[in-house]
Amino acid sequence: MAVTTEGLGPTIALDGARKARTNLTQARIRWMVLALLLGFGLVGGRLVQLGMVVTDSTIEGQARDVITATRPPILDRNGLEMAVDIRVPSLYAEPRRIIDVEEAVRKLRTVLPDLDEAWLRNRLSGDKGFVWVQRELSPAIQDKVMRLGIPGIDFITESKRFYPGMREASHILGSTNIDNQGISGIEKHMDTEAVALLQDLGLARGNALAPVELSVDMRVQHVLYEEMTDAMSRYQAIAAAGVMLDIHTGEVIALVSLPDFNPNEPATALVKDTFNRITSGIFEPGSIFKTVTMAGALDSGAVRINDQFDARYGVRFGRYTIDDFHGKHRILSLPEVYKYSSNIGTIRVMQAMGKDNFRAFLSRMGFDRRVEFELPEMRLPTVPKELSEVGAATASFGHGLSVSPLHMVTAYAAFVNGGNYIAPTLYKRSVEEAEPLYQRVLNPQTSEYVRYLMRLNALEGSGSQMNKAALGYRVGGKTGTAEKVVDGRYSSSKVTNFFASAFPLDNPRYAMIIMVDEPKLEPGAGGTTAGWNAGAATGRLVQRVAPMLGIAPDFSEILDRNLVPPVLR
Amino acid sequence: MIRNLNIILIFTSALMLAGVYALKFSIENTASERTALIALIDAQEGELSLLKADEAVLSQPGHIEPIVRRHEAALAIGPVQQKQFGAFDALPMRPAKPNSAAMDALFESLAAGVDPIDAILELEGID
Repeated sequence: MAVTTEGLGPTIALDGARKARTNLTQARIRWMVLALLLGFGLVGGRLVQLGMVVTDSTIEGQARDVITATRPPILDRNGLEMAVDIRVPSLYAEPRRIIDVEEAVRKLRTVLPDLDEAWLRNRLSGDKGFVWVQRELSPAIQDKVMRLGIPGIDFITESKRFYPGMREASHILGSTNIDNQGISGIEKHMDTEAVALLQDLGLARGNALAPVELSVDMRVQHVLYEEMTDAMSRYQAIAAAGVMLDIHTGEVIALVSLPDFNPNEPATALVKDTFNRITSGIFEPGSIFKTVTMAGALDSGAVRINDQFDARYGVRFGRYTIDDFHGKHRILSLPEVYKYSSNIGTIRVMQAMGKDNFRAFLSRMGFDRRVEFELPEMRLPTVPKELSEVGAATASFGHGLSVSPLHMVTAYAAFVNGGNYIAPTLYKRSVEEAEPLYQRVLNPQTSEYVRYLMRLNALEGSGSQMNKAALGYRVGGKTGTAEKVVDGRYSSSKVTNFFASAFPLDNPRYAMIIMVDEPKLEPGAGGTTAGWNAGAATGRLVQRVAPMLGIAPDFSEILDRNLVPPVLR
Repeated sequence: MIRNLNIILIFTSALMLAGVYALKFSIENTASERTALIALIDAQEGELSLLKADEAVLSQPGHIEPIVRRHEAALAIGPVQQKQFGAFDALPMRPAKPNSAAMDALFESLAAGVDPIDAILELEGID
């Protein structure tokens, strides 16, 4: 347009100048609009770009919440802390923000000299957003590292599990890994139950978690731990274990298995032989199983408490003859069979009941399945599905089948509490809560007979060593000396000793199993049979814990006389 | 008219600008205060958790027992023995009152001025 107007007159040129000016303004406006569009476009583009960025909020593949999640404190039945969370700083690095890796490595190693130089350099190089340098440090070290002022190095506060009771309740509590997740014991059970869900929902933060109350009494647990430690050294045993149950609620009051581990150092749990012998150890129970045979036979009505049994000669099965240890070789009454722990008499009792009824009774008492219990460390018992004549005979006195001490203590609890089977628990439970879970396995009358037999054995039989220390606490129990199988044969020198007991028998409240594995002769003691080690330890234990449990000694003979069934008075 | 309006608008916008920035800085201040407080609470919660753990360790029976053992001899203490228990039922009943009828009769007669010894002496013939 400007070119065509140039050749015309000045008046037209004036018009042209105005027009040109207008055109120029329009051109400028266009350029401005373009510039503005470009500017806003840039801003918008950047916004979209920022919106597309996925921020990596995880820590080495795990959500931050999981790492810093807290666990509820674990309390014993009296409210004493058994496990608490402590907040500890953990050192991490953001390699992409580190300017001088060499300097960072050098400086960090002045505070943490244990870190390997090459490993640390490798760790801090690269373009990662988050790497752990060292976890669970002390606040003092945190302070020192912060003073170094290295960019890209920082701390995050993690929760760490701490067990103030140290080793004492290790097998009950179990332990947690460095991410504060339960890997064994009740900690693992809690994770499978509730905590994992809470953590998933992101609720397991802060201190809002209600504490978990266990049934364990730390005072009793401590005494049991001490007595078991004492038993280990006193009898030079390879292992010792004990468990005490409240017979009415099934609550585990104490549970110790030695050798143990330190839950504050979970690596110590990997040492051989530290498994929980109460729940995941299965053993031939030996003579403590005779109580089961007696209870089953008396309950079936096949034998009566005043029956007599011929124990003059051993019982022959083909080439084998089963005889008594220190046998009397005469006709024995049923209480005498129990008191003298006669194998022959017990076989006769079982035979009177019938082997199939006996096997059915074992199922009724839960001996052929896992005990329902919270700890993940459980093992299936080995009880033959069908018992042969000889199998039933050996089973009647606790050989040829293997069960855990937890099976035995649960059975004993049912025997003395009036005949109600109640699965043990590690959580606090009242009698009212437990009663709907009762399964009747014995008549109350049979339960009274068993109490009498157990008390009789403590007064006159193999439990007398136990009764010496626990005088007045009305303890009754049965010894069991099970010979171990060494190279396919029963060895008389290597034995596993048990003492199953209940107290106070006039109004029973607690049942207990103490196990001493491969005890040696204690100087001054009369033998290595169970009465001298597992039994004596039970006596010392009861003497110490009975006052804690609110049981006062009572020496009146009327209590023991009342236990004797009327037909025998 | 327009000019005045423009001046007013310019001043208002300058004021608004100052206001917005003042608000922004005060919010930033509050935010940093909040962050500092959160850090402080976190640190104190951490300390508290350590103190609680300490307390739990100190109240464990396994911690108390060695202390008791150390002072056993000095304080003459030990685990409770069966014979140290008592009950109200075990207390003996108060002994029955002695029979004081004869003595009472004697004192009464003495008080009345009669000495029984005189009667005996008289019987024996002693003066």
